[in-house]
Amino acid sequence: MHMKISWKKYPSTSFYDEYVTPQNTLRGHSKKIGTFLESLSIEDLKEISTATETAIKSMGISFRVYSEDNEDGQDRMWPLDFIPRLIRKLEWLQVEKGLKQRVKALNMFIEDCYNKQNFLNESDMDESLVLDSPAYKKYCVDVKLKHNTWSHICGSDLIKAHDGKFYVLEDNLRVPSGVSYMLENRMIMKRVFPELFYQYGVTPIDAYPTKLYETLASVNNSRSKNPEIVLLTPGVFNSAYYEHSFLAQQMGIDLVEGRDLIVAKDGFVYKKTIEGLVKVDVIYRRIDDDYLDPDQGNPKTTIGVKGLIRAWQEKKVAIVNSPGCGIADDKAVYAYVPKMIKFYLKEEPIIRNIKTFLLTNKEHRDFVFQNFKEMVIKPVAESGGYGIVIGKNCSRSEREATIRKVMNNPRNYVAQPLISLSTTPTYSGESLEPRHLDLRPFILSAEKQYVTVGGLTRVALKKGSTVVNSSQGGGSKDTWIV
Amino acid sequence: MLSRDAEHLYWLTRYVERIENTARMINVHSELMLDFPGDQSLGWKPIIETMDSKKFFKKRYSEYSEISAVKFLGDDKENLNSIISSLDMARYNARAIKDDLPRSATEQLNNLFNEFSGGMSSSSSRRKRASYIYNAISGAQRFFGIISDNFSRGYAFEFMRLGRFVERIDMISRIIDSLCITKSEEQTHDFPTLEWVSMLRTLSAHESFRKEIRGEIERGDVINFLLKNENFPRSIYRCLTITEKSLLSLPNNTNVLEVAKKLNTRVFIAKLDSYDDKQLHNFLDYLQRRIHLLDENIHKNYFHNYL
Repeated sequence: MHMKISWKKYPSTSFYDEYVTPQNTLRGHSKKIGTFLESLSIEDLKEISTATETAIKSMGISFRVYSEDNEDGQDRMWPLDFIPRLIRKLEWLQVEKGLKQRVKALNMFIEDCYNKQNFLNESDMDESLVLDSPAYKKYCVDVKLKHNTWSHICGSDLIKAHDGKFYVLEDNLRVPSGVSYMLENRMIMKRVFPELFYQYGVTPIDAYPTKLYETLASVNNSRSKNPEIVLLTPGVFNSAYYEHSFLAQQMGIDLVEGRDLIVAKDGFVYKKTIEGLVKVDVIYRRIDDDYLDPDQGNPKTTIGVKGLIRAWQEKKVAIVNSPGCGIADDKAVYAYVPKMIKFYLKEEPIIRNIKTFLLTNKEHRDFVFQNFKEMVIKPVAESGGYGIVIGKNCSRSEREATIRKVMNNPRNYVAQPLISLSTTPTYSGESLEPRHLDLRPFILSAEKQYVTVGGLTRVALKKGSTVVNSSQGGGSKDTWIV
Repeated sequence: MLSRDAEHLYWLTRYVERIENTARMINVHSELMLDFPGDQSLGWKPIIETMDSKKFFKKRYSEYSEISAVKFLGDDKENLNSIISSLDMARYNARAIKDDLPRSATEQLNNLFNEFSGGMSSSSSRRKRASYIYNAISGAQRFFGIISDNFSRGYAFEFMRLGRFVERIDMISRIIDSLCITKSEEQTHDFPTLEWVSMLRTLSAHESFRKEIRGEIERGDVINFLLKNENFPRSIYRCLTITEKSLLSLPNNTNVLEVAKKLNTRVFIAKLDSYDDKQLHNFLDYLQRRIHLLDENIHKNYFHNYL
C-alpha cells in the first residue's frame, strides 16, 4: 500500500511553521511545493532519502568530529534533509540589506576600537567589554585597513521567531565555516530531487566562490594586478578541512599550511614552491588569531607562521579576516549592535536583535533571576552551542549552580528570553514532521559587499530539539529564495 | 606548485612502487624455494639483508623461516619497509593531496589496504599467502594505470613519475644485489643460472628477455638485460632515462639533472657482463649511493627541506 503525504496529518505545534499555517493549510509561498509533495508517497521519500545519502557518500562530503572517546576524530558524512527551506524573495531582499548594514557598522566599530575609540567614549557601553577581552589584540592598535574592513567574511546566525520574522542571534566574525556545505547541498539536491526545481524559479547560489575571490583580491596591498592568494589551513585534522580544500579548489588558489609559508628577511611572506619562494599577497586564513604567529599569541603554535603578524602590520601581506576582529564577536558586544548602527550609519537597524540582558547590570541580573524559566543563559565567548543553559529545562540545583556561576563572573554571561525557533517539514524516517531551524548567511565585505543567496540552513533532526550544530546531531537543508 | 604537494606526490608513488616490488620479491623467492626444498643457501636471509633490515629483523624474530620473513616483509607494522607500512604511508600522502588525485586512485589505494590488512601472515596456507601477494602487485599496477589514464601531464605528474622510478631503481638494484649475496661459496645445487631465471621472473622480464636472447641463458646476458637494456621498463638504464626525462621537464633542474645524467652514463659504459658477483655487488652498492644522492638533491631542490 502506498501511503500518500498529506498536510492534514502534519503534526501541528505551537511554533511558527514555515510551510504550514496553524490551520494545517499551506502558506502562499509553499503551495506549489507542498502540493507537489502531496503527489508523492512515503516510499518515494524513502527512496529520495537513500539517494541523498548515497550521493553524499560518493561525493565524500564529510566533517570531522572530535570527542572524549575519540581524540583522533572521526569523519562523518554530512547530514542533509532533502525538503528545502523556503524564503520569499521580497523578505530576503530586506534581510540582505539588513545584514550589509549590520556588518558595515561592525567593521566600523572594530576599526574605531583600535583607533579613536569614539563609540567607547560616547556610548554607554562599558569599555572593558572590549579592552579586557581576550580577543582584543594590542598589536592592532593604530592599524587602519584597506576599505576599513576587518571582518571580510562574516557568518551571522539568524532565526525566525514565533512572529515569523527574522532576528539575528549572533555574528561570527572570526573564521565562520559552513559555506561549502551550502554550495554542496544545492548540488546534491539537483541530483536527487530535480523535479522539485521545476516548481519554482529558485535563485542560483553558485556565485559565492567568485565573489569570495574578488573580495580577497580587493584587499591586496601590493601593486600586482594578479595578486598571489592562498588559503591557510591548520591541516587535514581540522574539523573544517573539507571546506578549506573545497574553497581553495573552487577559487583555484593554493591550499597551504603554516609550514608552506615563510616570512623572509625582507619582511614579506613567501610560499615554498618547486620553483623557489613565491611572494604571497593575501592570506585567507582559517586559523584562530592566537595560533597565527608564535611571536604573537601562543608561542607553541606549530600551525602558524613566525613573523606573520608583523608582516601584516607593515602591510606586506593582507590577512582575511584580520587579526583582532574577534572583539566584535562577543555576545555582550552583540547587545550594542543596534546602537552601533545608529552611531556610525545614522540609520535604524533593519534586522532585529534579540533582547539581551548584560548580567553585569544589577537590575538586569535581578530581572533575569526572577524570570529564570523564560530565559536562556549564554557564555559570551563560546561558540558551537556549548555552555548554553535553558532556564525552563533546569532542575533547582542546576538553576542555583547557574546563578552562582553568573554571580561569580557576570562579565562572562548574558541572558536572552527563550525564543521559539520556527519549524519546517523534515523527513523523519517515516513521514514529514516539523523540526526547528536557523540560518547562517555569509556576508562578504571589502571594496564591495555581497550576501549569499540564502545561506546554510541548519536543522535540529531530533524531535523537539533546538540544537542545530552538526557536531551535536544537527542536520542541514538547501535554502531556496523563491 | 607548492613544494609540500610535490613532496607528497613523490612519496606517494615511491611507496606504491615499493609495495609492488616487495611483493614481487616475496613471490619469486617463495617460488624459487619450491624448486630446491632443503637447499639452505637459498634462505630468506639475503632478502632481509638487501632491505638493510638485518638487525631489526633479528630483534623481532628468532629465525629466518619463511613464515617470519613473509610476516616481516608483508604485514609487520613495525617494519617501515613492509608492504603494510608502505600502504599506510602511501595513504597518508594520498590523503594530504586527495584533491589533486583522481578519486578512483584514492579508492584503489583504500581497497588495497582493506584487502591487505586481513592478516596475510596469520594464514598458514601458502596458497592463501600467494593470493595476498598477487593482489598487492596487481593493486599497485591498477593504481598506476588509473594515474596514467586520468592524470593531466604537468609538474604534478612528473613528480609522481619521478618518485616511482627513483624507487624502482633503488628496489631493482636491491633485488639483483640479493642474488649476489646469496651466491656465496656454499652453493649446493647445480643450476647456476636458475636464480637468474627467477630474477627475470621477479621483474616480469622473462618474456621480454626471451624475445631478445634465445637459447641457453647466460648470466652475463641477464645482467646486461636487467641493467642496460634500452627498451625494457624495468631495466636500470631505462628507469634512469625516464627519471632524466622527468627532471628535464621540471624547473631549476641543473643540479639534479647532472647527477642523473652522470649515473646513466656510468651504467651505459660499464662492462657489467664481465663482472663477478663481488664486483657486481660493489657496482650495485655504488648505484644505490648515487640514487640516494639524487633523492637528496630532489628534496633540497624542490621540497625545501633544508629551510
